[in-house]
Amino acid sequence: MLQFILSGIAIGAVYGLIGMALAISFYVTRVINFAQGQIMMIAMMITATATAAGLPTAVALVLGILSAVIVAVLSYYIAVKPILAFNRFSFGWLVSTLGFAVIVENGAAYVWGPTSRPFPQMLNGLSLHLGNAVLTGQQVLSIAVALLLAAFFELVRKRTLFGKLGVAIAADPEMASAVGANTSLVAVVAFAISGVFAGIAGVLIGPDTFANPYLGHTYGIFGFIAMMIGGGTERPVAAMFGGLLLGVLGEGANALIDSQASDWFPFVVLVIILVVTPRGLFSGGGLWERAWRRALPARREAA
Amino acid sequence: MAAGVARAARSGMSGKVDGMPGAPALNLTAVSRWPRLGVALLVAAYLVGTWAVAHSSLNVQSLVLVAAVFGVLAISLDLVAGILGLYSLGQGGFFGIGAYLTAIAVNNGGTSPFVMLPIVVLVSGAAGVMIGAMSLRVSGLYFAITTFIFTLVLTVLATDLQVTGGTQGLLGPSFPDLPDGFAWVGAPVAWCILLALLIVVGLIWSLRRSPLYPVLLATRDAEPFAEAAGVRTAALKIGIFGISAAIAGAAGWMFSFLGVVSPGQFDWSVSLNILVMVLVGGINTTLGPLVGAAFVSMFPAIVNINPWLQEIVYGALSISAITLFPEGIVGLITRRLRGSQPPAHIRPEAETKPRLSPAPPATGATVAAGAAGAAGASAPARLEIAVECRGIEFGYAVGPKVLRKVDLVVRRGHIHGLIGPNGSGKSTLANVIAGRLHPMSGSVLLNGRSVDGISPSGRARRGMRRTFQAAQLVRELTTSQNVSVGLYTDLPGILRRAPVWPFLPSARRDMLRVQKKSADAIRAVEADAWADRKIADVPHGVEQLTQLAAVCIAGPDIIILDEPATGLSSREVDHLAAILSQLKAQGVTMIIIEHQTRFLLPLCDQVTVLNAGEVIVTATADEIRAHPVVRQVYLGA
Repeated sequence: MLQFILSGIAIGAVYGLIGMALAISFYVTRVINFAQGQIMMIAMMITATATAAGLPTAVALVLGILSAVIVAVLSYYIAVKPILAFNRFSFGWLVSTLGFAVIVENGAAYVWGPTSRPFPQMLNGLSLHLGNAVLTGQQVLSIAVALLLAAFFELVRKRTLFGKLGVAIAADPEMASAVGANTSLVAVVAFAISGVFAGIAGVLIGPDTFANPYLGHTYGIFGFIAMMIGGGTERPVAAMFGGLLLGVLGEGANALIDSQASDWFPFVVLVIILVVTPRGLFSGGGLWERAWRRALPARREAA
Repeated sequence: MAAGVARAARSGMSGKVDGMPGAPALNLTAVSRWPRLGVALLVAAYLVGTWAVAHSSLNVQSLVLVAAVFGVLAISLDLVAGILGLYSLGQGGFFGIGAYLTAIAVNNGGTSPFVMLPIVVLVSGAAGVMIGAMSLRVSGLYFAITTFIFTLVLTVLATDLQVTGGTQGLLGPSFPDLPDGFAWVGAPVAWCILLALLIVVGLIWSLRRSPLYPVLLATRDAEPFAEAAGVRTAALKIGIFGISAAIAGAAGWMFSFLGVVSPGQFDWSVSLNILVMVLVGGINTTLGPLVGAAFVSMFPAIVNINPWLQEIVYGALSISAITLFPEGIVGLITRRLRGSQPPAHIRPEAETKPRLSPAPPATGATVAAGAAGAAGASAPARLEIAVECRGIEFGYAVGPKVLRKVDLVVRRGHIHGLIGPNGSGKSTLANVIAGRLHPMSGSVLLNGRSVDGISPSGRARRGMRRTFQAAQLVRELTTSQNVSVGLYTDLPGILRRAPVWPFLPSARRDMLRVQKKSADAIRAVEADAWADRKIADVPHGVEQLTQLAAVCIAGPDIIILDEPATGLSSREVDHLAAILSQLKAQGVTMIIIEHQTRFLLPLCDQVTVLNAGEVIVTATADEIRAHPVVRQVYLGA
């Protein structure tokens, strides 16, 4: 019981990071970047390649995350900006971000080949005993880093001018640019931040999965589910909660139903949650918030 | 295309080449003789092509037939994405439902494929209706996401279930052979698929020529306008999505005869590829989806290089197509072709034409005389109450209440003015009466009957029409096409008839009636100089007149006008007053919100003044002018 909850939280933290990466870029541009999983994959491939070239692990990790940021910003300039310039309400981005994902994934397969490459083991050798559960150092690292990043993001969003700018642009891009906000710059920064989140997610999970060009697909989907069940489309940090829930449910299904159940169980949960509360569990108007408000009617949002 | 041009040349109205590519919609007199011949020739050529494919090698056949199946899929997506603005990523899922159901039932149960076709159509259509009903309660993006998730879930099921054969999939059934002696016809599966494609193209082609087309575009671009014209937009969207899903399911049925049925052929990237087809070919065009489907599905066969490079080229092509040519191939070509006839050239006199040349029937109905004369005219009906609001309270989630205990009685045949400072709740009250907003308490009565809980479209069907403060119209349609939306409730069985519209004799009569009524309505508001212009190209005042014409065309009992004089020149305002007097003379009851009291007050029998959500006073125009509180809060004197 404790074991699958803890390892669920660990893997869920990674889903949550990808979900947040999706949510952050969505938040500012109203575009779901279908290449987010591939951006994560690039971080893993570059880290693996740099390590294989003999660079120290720390340098390789930084290079990996940096490359994810570069690819994320590229995805904005190539697949998102031209579409939004044409029509902010069109759905052309569905095609262009997917096209970008196809290019990145197949480009990686072409350059590195379709087989998995070794990834630095980082903290995977350590093991921590918590009661009768065992966690690797890497899992603990994942949880800690993900929660720190989520908290930091929320702090920046709520407390800094830049964060408020993001909120303003999310609410009404035209109005925000009318009062002098550089919406394009904020969008680039949002994509860069989403690249950081996706890149970090990649290097956190890398020691377990190794580096493979096709990993982006799977993790992109799980990140998407995390965002949807959490309600990250309206509040990026909700994607982290969604990810943690998704991880625990997936590991729980593996432990309690059968060993393949995590392939389909999260989808069932996703459907049920979206039927009950289409905006996700932890979004502003979501189920959680409503229950919370009902329980504590006196509580007023200061912001 | 040729048919459309020929028809445009024949139609009496000069220079009618507007409308969407291949969709001249309303302005053309159904199908006259020439285009019929053109269509017949095209169909004959298509049948000859089908004959050739049915006799060609298996390689060519599979290439063409797969492209044709994707053509059907792309059309099914364009039906919702292009015409209704609903970007479905569920087409792959419905496609899969069709293919798997057929493969499983025919392989395991020995069911005849022809029995499976209606079953497949029903099942996928029902799935579409369910998903539509579930997801359309939230925004368009959530519709895309929900359909995306639907496809994800189906792919997972197909991969993990026993009966679907896992990742390997199933070998599809073979298409039944023709009876002996018919072998000369060629491969039956080719005939089946290509004829199905022809039928689907024909349905969409007809739909675009029916009066339903402007209604659908209005549902896409100006939903409040469509609802105010009596269109049950939510049900319409769900129904059309169900049809789209059923077509996608039928495409799956066809696909099952072409080889292996496996999860990878129906996953979400397939759904997106179908969208690529539609967008690359040209969204909301008849032929665009076909061009796109042929391009995308034949791409791997044509560009025969390293599979990874091939995918990279494909990705790059789809990005560049969507960023550089957002209208798609067909959209681009038709714009180029039409580019030789700039819209301004069509009616050069449009701007210079004196606005008041065809004198309106109500001549001499000057503003003042109109009010005074008509006030006594409708005496018999005066006691009857047309609209009544009892104790309306309305407020948004935060902030003070917008309406507080508002009582309003509008007598039949009256023009009832609604004035008040900005933010006093006038438009909110209009929206409550029209059913767009639901009051927290209180009720609205229409002709003595409560209409609480009845949708805006239901109220429109009960004879109440309205205009909007910010005109809600379809920018890519002409003024007359927009006006024709108002006739929606006046065309019996329009939904049933739209898919075969050009082929119905009765439809031809209806079309003439629609055209005549639209032309009359536009002439009545004196916007006829703009009748054939797209709304995107007309000035604001004409948008207001178009709204008014779309309302009047339906012959309503009650009209709510929300700031109808905004953006009109002083001469147009005078004319508007004449039109309104004339409507009043016909016994129409009107509620008019307006700031220009000099225009409004002379027209009104009764005026209600709102301030901060409360009724200050209801009285005649003269009493209002003299009322001290009104002078203070509103007239500022």
